[in-house]
Amino acid sequence: MGVNLRDLVPKKQIALSDLSGRSIAIDAYNALYQFLAIIRQPDGTPLKDRTGKVTSHLSGLLYRTANLVEMGMRVVYVFDGVPPTLKEVEIRRRVKVKKEAIMKYEKALQEGRIEEARTYAQATSRLKDYMEQDSKRLLTLMGVPWIQAPSEGEAQAAYLTKKGDTNYCASQDYDSLLFGAPLLIRNLTMSGRRKLPGKQVYIDVIPEIVELNQVLEKLGITQEQLVDIGILIGTDFNPEGIRGIGPKTALNLIKQHNSLENTMSHIKAAKFPVEPQRIREIFLNPKITDNYQLKWKEPDIEGVIDFLCRERDFSEDRVHKALEKMTTGIKMAKGKVTLEAFFQNN
Amino acid sequence: MFNVKMTDAKLLRDMITAISILIDEATFDITPQGIKLRAMDPSRVAMVDFEWPQTIFDEYNCSEPMKMCLNISEMLKLLRRVGKDESIELSLDEKTARLKMTIRGKYVRTFNMPTLEAMEEEVPTPKVTFKAKARATTDGLREAIEDASLVSDHVRIEADNEKMMMQATGSLMGATIELKKGSDALLNLEVKEPSKATYSLSYLSEIVKAASAASAVTTLEFSSDMPIKLNFEQEKEGKLTYYLAPRIEVE
Repeated sequence: MGVNLRDLVPKKQIALSDLSGRSIAIDAYNALYQFLAIIRQPDGTPLKDRTGKVTSHLSGLLYRTANLVEMGMRVVYVFDGVPPTLKEVEIRRRVKVKKEAIMKYEKALQEGRIEEARTYAQATSRLKDYMEQDSKRLLTLMGVPWIQAPSEGEAQAAYLTKKGDTNYCASQDYDSLLFGAPLLIRNLTMSGRRKLPGKQVYIDVIPEIVELNQVLEKLGITQEQLVDIGILIGTDFNPEGIRGIGPKTALNLIKQHNSLENTMSHIKAAKFPVEPQRIREIFLNPKITDNYQLKWKEPDIEGVIDFLCRERDFSEDRVHKALEKMTTGIKMAKGKVTLEAFFQNN
Repeated sequence: MFNVKMTDAKLLRDMITAISILIDEATFDITPQGIKLRAMDPSRVAMVDFEWPQTIFDEYNCSEPMKMCLNISEMLKLLRRVGKDESIELSLDEKTARLKMTIRGKYVRTFNMPTLEAMEEEVPTPKVTFKAKARATTDGLREAIEDASLVSDHVRIEADNEKMMMQATGSLMGATIELKKGSDALLNLEVKEPSKATYSLSYLSEIVKAASAASAVTTLEFSSDMPIKLNFEQEKEGKLTYYLAPRIEVE
């Protein structure tokens, strides 16, 4: 879900090729859920191998990552660890939404409403343990580093970017900004075209960059105040937010009263599932780790083929092509240096 | 208030051409003293550093410092219409945030284009101690780079006390180009330490080609595995300099 800051933040559209030579920390769960939702057959059935194991996420990981690497990007996937206990409300809500979606999906399927079935199916995606294990195994074989975050993956990805180990964070959620990611890329792991839900209409999905400094400057607020605005609108830790308060009202309130605490006395009906200060703490001081290594390697072609084609029934031809793209990209990116490396004293 | 006049519109056209090869949108720093621009290309491999003091213009009016962001490729489309012996006037309408461009020759036409939200990013200068400095004719340099481009997409440039060498190795063919100190192409060469570095030919050739209309003589400065600085000397005042990051050879 994530916090809905869409209407508040300035963003800039970019071409994927602009990211050539840049390193990007990708919110792995966010990407995998997108793959599971989108990569499906027309009736909504996910891709499966002969034993019935879902492979949509592997397909997305392989082909999308290959595209990005071909363009000269260096990507690292950051996996969620143990969710903060405060997230329980949101997690329960998601389970409920999915259960309902599954029922609607099965009913639509029975009644032969294929289009609708597909729409419902997209909301049923669950990331099971074996899918996460498969994903990590595939990334390792592909020579793409991945990091196990102690808690929220977005927080860890933001930390990498703040530290300068990666140039950007990639996620669809604006939560990354609350976690302090200086540069956020949206629409990175989506393909170029996306079907609008429930319509026969396709829109072009163009990657966009959100710059935290620019957001704060434009809105005239601090990082802490941005978090407070998020909490008023609703985050993963208080998904309901406060009734009647949308992004613009939240911004005005915080600018007027400076902080969440001062604002609270002006909104009588405000209710939180937990102490709002604890939510703020998660964003401002998240659990992160320094225990990681970023090492990019060329893909282990035999290993990937063994795993995907022999075990998971992928087409050998297509996998080969994707891996070739990756190798070309890695060769091209090798030795490419940006001017930024020379802005500091040598 | 910002409005300027230039008797030779080609000067502006050539300068905008030179800038356009690296960036699509340019944020100009405009002050009562003149116009400046410093920007990196989107992949941050190259940078352009441009300056025109107000004396370049025949008339120059700027009441207070401002930033003006323009879509350079759109502007260039209009400027391509500039012919021989034509003059140009630029004036910014602050109310509508549009730039008016009047070109006067056999007849008068006035274009207007929108200005864009200015970018705040400040680009610093790369800090490099250059060990080799060469002065070459821009045409000579352009020819040499074109030769190298025939066989590869990158070139190794080497300099010692006598000469500057360019070496390009492609998958099929190779090229070696020698520019001797004091020759028609290489006017001067000062080498504190023999240096060699590799650069992308697509960047080099685009830069040199685009800048050649605006400059006859180029000063190149570089060091081993460091960026190269290309300064395109201007006939009048003003500055047009590029920096290009090296490619580092890895196994």
